[in-house]
Amino acid sequence: MNIAIETDNLVKVYGGKKEGVRALNGINMKVPPRSVYGLFGPNGSGKTTLITILVGLQLPTGGSATVLGHDVIKESVEIRRKVGLLPEGFGFYEHMTALENLTFLGMLDDLPPDKVKGKALEVLGTTGLKDKATVKVSTFSRGMRQRLGVAQALMKDPELLMLDEPTVGIDPEGAAEFRDLVRGLNKEGKTVLMSTHLLYEIGMICTHAGMIREGKLLAQGSVDELSQPVRKAKGYAYEIHVKSGGDGLRRDIRLLPDVREATLRDDKITVIAESDIGSALFSLMTGDAYRDQVSSLTPVSPSWEDLYQFYQGGESA
Amino acid sequence: MNKSLTIARREFADVITSRRFWLIGGLFLLLYVANIYGVSLGFRMGEAFGSNRLMLQIGSNVASTLGLLAPLLGIALAFDAISGERERGTLRILLSRPLYREDVINGKMISAAAVIGLTVTASALLSVSASILLQGITVTSDDIVRLGFFVGVSILFAFAYYAVSLFISTFSSKSGHSLTISLGVWIFFAFILPILASFIATAILGSPPAFFYNQTSRPGGQTQISGSFANYTRRVAEITSTIEMVSINNHYSLIADSLFGLPTGAFGQQETSRLDLAGVLSSRWVDLLVIVAFSLIFLVASYVIFTSRQEK
Repeated sequence: MNIAIETDNLVKVYGGKKEGVRALNGINMKVPPRSVYGLFGPNGSGKTTLITILVGLQLPTGGSATVLGHDVIKESVEIRRKVGLLPEGFGFYEHMTALENLTFLGMLDDLPPDKVKGKALEVLGTTGLKDKATVKVSTFSRGMRQRLGVAQALMKDPELLMLDEPTVGIDPEGAAEFRDLVRGLNKEGKTVLMSTHLLYEIGMICTHAGMIREGKLLAQGSVDELSQPVRKAKGYAYEIHVKSGGDGLRRDIRLLPDVREATLRDDKITVIAESDIGSALFSLMTGDAYRDQVSSLTPVSPSWEDLYQFYQGGESA
Repeated sequence: MNKSLTIARREFADVITSRRFWLIGGLFLLLYVANIYGVSLGFRMGEAFGSNRLMLQIGSNVASTLGLLAPLLGIALAFDAISGERERGTLRILLSRPLYREDVINGKMISAAAVIGLTVTASALLSVSASILLQGITVTSDDIVRLGFFVGVSILFAFAYYAVSLFISTFSSKSGHSLTISLGVWIFFAFILPILASFIATAILGSPPAFFYNQTSRPGGQTQISGSFANYTRRVAEITSTIEMVSINNHYSLIADSLFGLPTGAFGQQETSRLDLAGVLSSRWVDLLVIVAFSLIFLVASYVIFTSRQEK
């Protein structure tokens, strides 16, 4: 399968097609398999609406969507058989233990009754909660609940995980552990769609991202794909670390075609160019004149903040 | 169906281990103890007056307890059935499984039917058995059939309130709202409507006519009420009973009265003759039908609303 999730002009209107609020306004999203796709946008941008439509908890007003090849309207049960969801604001049966909660949910996931307990213990192990299996959920901390939330999503051994604002309200240490968990699951081959309003989280964990605002997907793609238009508009940046001198090199770089600026500060030359001059820089610094003076050349990717500001400003190519 | 049963099993286990359920159970016990005492008092009076109405007394006591508590049981089971799941965030977790929304509501209904059936039957059996054993009453097969039928009607009655409260719960976002509205419905039917009906009747008919006893016209010193006053009270009763037709509590009471031959006339002077079960059924089938229809309408409405609703 080439695409794990695909939407075509997806629309959701609350409260009547004409006067209602357009929560989704023609979303065209493509999530590649085995990616960690970060759906980034401010609160109220339509992230949760999109996720709930993708798992069949809501129906779209217009457009279409497929998840793992299944239509979200006609085959929502089949989707929920293959997709593990960690919804926003989820809860558990507080008077039951973690194991009892997972066993109950596993039964609803169509797991064989003789295997459901084993599977529950396995996912509790994966999420680091094995020693809490027989503890009532009412005593769990926020971080533990979040882990149990992932555990319940893993019960059906899903091909795709959808995590709606998974790190909201948990402490930095818990959030870091959570990201490690997601990275591990992605390494096992699971596709992850994760919504967040925390920009740094996208940079830390995602291979792909989509930026959503007021129900519209402003941009999407891999980090490189998203960076290209920004680089074209704002320039290609490079950092060259020099061992000694550097001013001669800076002057020579300045003479290269398309170079907008080259500045030397301490042992670092920062270069901004109109086009990709990576090869020219490499040739120059590995030539006889500068080979011994240069220690590294690094292309600088735009930060996620740069990307978001760029796309939010409607400068998308 | 398997998933409905899985949900029903969990619901059932949750309910019978909940404090709320045991609180209602405690109320049942308290009222039944009072009833057993009432029966014991009736037994002594029966001996004094030579009456053989003890089984009717037991039945009417059970009816009065169930008339009060069966609706509360139904409401206690339903008010947060959907709104509580929504509030706690468990509904989204449930609905993210490969199941249909119907499975969730079916599971809840199956569990509620089991809990109501078990509670009403067990409590009625315990109370009747305790009274019978304590007083050493001989029970006839007619008594058993009557009580059995009444337990069935009481289960339907409790389920009717369950259905109303479930309906409210399906569109409420908070359990507190759902509980308040459900209790409001119960209070209206059980307490406010009878008072309202009397007010309306007296407003229509005006002040009652002059009221006096004629204690000399009949041998034996029995009191007699003036004809115009008796006519007035009869018309008041007609108007109030017409208004109370909208209340399932009233239909339930009418069935109970027919089964246990309780006095229904003004001032308790008249005593209805004791009909056999076939007679009760033929005279009270409309009441039974109203209770069944009431349950069905609200169950279907809950079903339609819940299955067509989308979770944001």
